[in-house]
Amino acid sequence: MKEEDSASPPVAEEEDDFGYRLFPDRNKKPQSFLARSFFTFHNRCQVMLRMTLETNPYAQLLLEAMKQSGCTVFNDRHFACEDCDGCVSGGFDSATSQIVLCQNNIRQQSHMNRVVTHELIHAFDHCRAHVDWFKNVKHLACSEIRAANLSGDCTLMNEIARFKFGLKGHHQTCVRDRAIRSILAVRKVSKETAQKAVDEVFDACFNDLEPFGRIPHSKADAKRAYRDFQNRDRYNANL
Amino acid sequence: QPPRSCEDYWWEWKHCRGLRHAFHHYYAHGELPACRRWRDDYEACRAWEKGRAAAAQEALCKSERARVMEKQKYAPVWTLRKSPPPDWHRPLDQDK
Repeated sequence: MKEEDSASPPVAEEEDDFGYRLFPDRNKKPQSFLARSFFTFHNRCQVMLRMTLETNPYAQLLLEAMKQSGCTVFNDRHFACEDCDGCVSGGFDSATSQIVLCQNNIRQQSHMNRVVTHELIHAFDHCRAHVDWFKNVKHLACSEIRAANLSGDCTLMNEIARFKFGLKGHHQTCVRDRAIRSILAVRKVSKETAQKAVDEVFDACFNDLEPFGRIPHSKADAKRAYRDFQNRDRYNANL
Repeated sequence: QPPRSCEDYWWEWKHCRGLRHAFHHYYAHGELPACRRWRDDYEACRAWEKGRAAAAQEALCKSERARVMEKQKYAPVWTLRKSPPPDWHRPLDQDK
């Protein structure tokens, strides 16, 4: 699993569970209809997800890009709202091609927007490239760098809310740190290994801005990026 | 026709010079943005539309191709797929 907003690094010695321990409801039967009544976390998660997919320009661009790549995303097949452990907000399960959203940890619409964008970037990478999620730490690092860079995880306001202060080029510092934390949460590797992997792929992956073409710092940037994406046939034909 | 509409070049230039973008660029890259190129591209686009000037067309296309090359500067970490993952649409109960 790839996940964001991780808790502290996992205990070593056991075999690598690839982060699945954070998502205890994976591989369990879904709850009965009666158990999922109104006003539950599950219901709220579904409502917020729908709002994101229908109105958020980051998500809409990613959905369109995935559709163009042959991976049309369906709400009921590719998203799952579940309870998760710790401080995890979501994850991408490449084994089932599903984005898991942590209904007990996502409380606000803006947070849902960010988590969905982050996980859709992982899904987009899975769709367009042979990403070896489980055995190649550099591939995982690359996708985490891209997701932290392009989803709005590292805006100044979000960093200040985490009590991380910095201005000149701080975005890159944040992207590095969050990528390392995400790797440590789902893989039984040392911090040095994670840091080394991030350092080796940072330049290539920080500058890989697909499908946005720019780092979207606001919804207006994302809307512009969506427009450019829709016009890309004209662009490529006239170079 | 030009790769982008002339309004798009104008917008990019105005946006690049704005305070908000300057802040975001400094926050992300540690330096202030260079916007001159968008202005040159806008003027080349206008010249192209008005008189179909060959020099303007060549300058604009060269600038845009350079932008594409800059994006391809780094060797990719992974190999791209030729077709989407085969299990993307597989129903969930078949995965178990």
